[in-house]
Amino acid sequence: MANALYSGRRRRNFIWTILAYAATAFGLSWLVVILATLIWNGAGGLSLDVFTKMTAPPGVVGGLLNSIVGSLIVTVMGVAIATPLGILAGTYLAEYGRHERLSIVIRFVNDILLSAPSIVVGLFVYQLCVVPFGHFSAIAGAVALAMIATPIIVRTTEDMLNLVPNTLREAASSMGMPRSLMIRQVAYRAARSGIVTGILLAVARMAGETAPLIFTELGNSLFSADPRGPMSSLPLIIYEFARSPYPEQQKLAWTGALIVTFAVLSLSILARVLSSSRGEAK
Amino acid sequence: MNEAVSPNPVQSPLHEPAGGAVAEKIAVRGLNFFYGQTRALKDVTLSLRTGKVTSFIGPSGCGKSTLLRVLNRMYDLYPGQHAEGEVLLDGENILAPGLDLNLLRARVGMVFQKPTPFPMSIYDNIAFGIRLYEKVAKSELDGRVESALRRSALWTEVKDKLNASGLSLSGGQQQRLCIARTVAISPEVILFDEPCSALDPIATAKIEELIDELTDDYTIAIVTHSMQQAARVSQFTAFMYLGEMIEFDETNKVFTSPRDKRTQDYITGRFG
Amino acid sequence: MTATAIQAAETASRPMDRSQALARLKFGDVVFRLMTQFSALLVLVLLLGVAVSLLIGSWPAFSTFGLDFFISDAWSPPKEHFGAAAAIYGTLVTSAIAMLIGVPVGVGVAVFLTELCPLSLRRPIGIAIELLAGIPSIIYGIWGVYYFKPVMQGYVQPFLIHTLGAIPGLGLLFAGPPLGYGVLTAGLVLAIMILPFVTAISRDVFETVPPVLKEAAYGVGSTTFEVVGAIVIPYTRVGVIGGVMLALGRALGETMAVTFVIGNATKISTSILAQGTTISAMIANQFADADPGLFTSSLLALGFILFIITFIVLAAARLMLARLEVKAGR
Repeated sequence: MANALYSGRRRRNFIWTILAYAATAFGLSWLVVILATLIWNGAGGLSLDVFTKMTAPPGVVGGLLNSIVGSLIVTVMGVAIATPLGILAGTYLAEYGRHERLSIVIRFVNDILLSAPSIVVGLFVYQLCVVPFGHFSAIAGAVALAMIATPIIVRTTEDMLNLVPNTLREAASSMGMPRSLMIRQVAYRAARSGIVTGILLAVARMAGETAPLIFTELGNSLFSADPRGPMSSLPLIIYEFARSPYPEQQKLAWTGALIVTFAVLSLSILARVLSSSRGEAK
Repeated sequence: MNEAVSPNPVQSPLHEPAGGAVAEKIAVRGLNFFYGQTRALKDVTLSLRTGKVTSFIGPSGCGKSTLLRVLNRMYDLYPGQHAEGEVLLDGENILAPGLDLNLLRARVGMVFQKPTPFPMSIYDNIAFGIRLYEKVAKSELDGRVESALRRSALWTEVKDKLNASGLSLSGGQQQRLCIARTVAISPEVILFDEPCSALDPIATAKIEELIDELTDDYTIAIVTHSMQQAARVSQFTAFMYLGEMIEFDETNKVFTSPRDKRTQDYITGRFG
Repeated sequence: MTATAIQAAETASRPMDRSQALARLKFGDVVFRLMTQFSALLVLVLLLGVAVSLLIGSWPAFSTFGLDFFISDAWSPPKEHFGAAAAIYGTLVTSAIAMLIGVPVGVGVAVFLTELCPLSLRRPIGIAIELLAGIPSIIYGIWGVYYFKPVMQGYVQPFLIHTLGAIPGLGLLFAGPPLGYGVLTAGLVLAIMILPFVTAISRDVFETVPPVLKEAAYGVGSTTFEVVGAIVIPYTRVGVIGGVMLALGRALGETMAVTFVIGNATKISTSILAQGTTISAMIANQFADADPGLFTSSLLALGFILFIITFIVLAAARLMLARLEVKAGR
């Protein structure tokens, strides 16, 4: 009797174990499949032309130069806005406002923004930065990307500053160090690699973001480095060319997708290496 | 080297026999302390004599660390904690509102239970505090860093690696670095909060030796769990129990002929 | 002055010097504090700004169509008549499909990672899952339309039509020609997208279970899955649900992966094989070409509705995760 019960339990355990293994195999296989198709379709198109020529109309050999440059410009502008804003806000939550009731609200709102649909952010920035000026612009795109990156930086900055031991703060204060100096010279230093990790993850997120750019930055088939006007960007060109009926544009879309994915994955791996080397140093 | 021109009384060591009429550096009068609603110190009164070491002993939770943290108002970092009563530093009440805490803390330094080197080089750990308040030329800064490190008996061990991270030192060295950092900004009082509890016996001996050497120039208060340590380093001892100051006297009196039954129980190991 | 003189002067006037030096620092101290406070408030203002600006932008549509905007599935730019029902319906159905598949698989992977996986593999597999979460959604989109859609069209959909489609009643869900594009395809791509989120959060949440609890259960002879079923999941239930809601928030608002494969037809069909649309896909597809006025306003109104739906879902998710944190921090 007891044995029959026990074997039934073992059988159930066995079935569930198989299911868990199957789920993992299923989940991981997508990573393999997606990366394989990306490399299969994208690597063939990688040539010097991709990095030296502009996007072109069908029938003309073109590249992705303007899109790559555009993406870099907008991402850099986005980081330039989001990093100070995010670090300062995260500093408030972790240091000055740690025990304030307002911080609970801000933390909550930040967490909502962290996972808010990017297309909604895009619409907001359209209302804010496109409608008043009457035209699309790379600045608007950068603002949209910054709005997506800021919550990530706020969150990691706060988390990392919370890991800084209070005794270090007390030690700095005990020397008569004003609070802002303590934060900038001691707490930031102690939390540096964690904060940098957060920024890298935010950049990775920005680099592949497409939806909010459609109606802020618009895209541009020509080369433009003027942030006041529309600018091309890799995700936008992938979006456009992937739906194009022309094989050469489709091929460029895949190549662009490969470049974006490679950039995003390298950034996330770099961020992980950075945060784990910090863990070992402890 | 500065003593000749210094008007600062702390810089000129007092050599008076223990137990004589020694000036009060800090006088605590009727101090009550609250963590929210909980009263952690009850009507504490004592005085720290200039140029002497006073140790605070007592079982865990007796309020000795709390008392120490009132003396540089470290508790101000946290909401919901407040002190009532009087704490006079050279006659000035440091509990008074409007007092500049940074100035106070520059005068009353503190060394913590765990070594707390800043995440920067050994040199910068010390130079940082100096540069905070003074504009000094590089050559003078070098000299000040060196003298602080010599003062804390660390110079010979680190002079070849001043640019190494402060975190690369051993626990005992880190603690001496923290002492050097405190000494470098020339405070008048140094508070030690169980400075040896994270250290091995050899490192502990070095710190105690160092405290002994600092005695002449600084007024020192030390919280310790170890009665032997209190007996070794201090001239005065305060025994606290459940937030009350039970006995405060010269160290040898407290240990040889305690007046209070509770003190006697504690030093003979009945509780704590 | 000689060096010694400077030194002497300095030592002599130290207490003065300190307060002067501090006065200089004090200004920077106050400015820095205000800057952090301002930045933190800006985060708050941004969220309010999103809500307010979308509400203002969508007001013409709401006031013209009223309640009809929510229940009508007519979307006709030439006639200037707009209803959100088809988009809302598509958003909910694709997300439901994604959750139905992504959640059990994602939790299964998390169980594997925390309970079954050999220690040496735990980190690499965990990282692989996190990388999958980091792949931009446009990649899922382009992959979905070139690879996943043909598979759906050639194999999965014909199979479903011939088997489940033949069952009376249930067959309605699987009716129609195998087009490849459609609600089911979009839902499945979304499922693949949210799977790593569910796994990553469930794993973090499972790791909050105190080892001693699990050891106690193993100690009385429980099998791995009895421990998971009786200890791990009940202990972390709130957190897992919170994680699932976060993933749901993601699925509801996802744009690029869906736009490519859903077919973009503004109608409601009973069949999940039929083409449809979602709120975000409609905005992405039509916004650039929309005339100012009612058309644009209606798209902004769609955005506002999406914002409200995701806000509620995400807020619930955060509250639940916060409850687990309180428990774990105890």
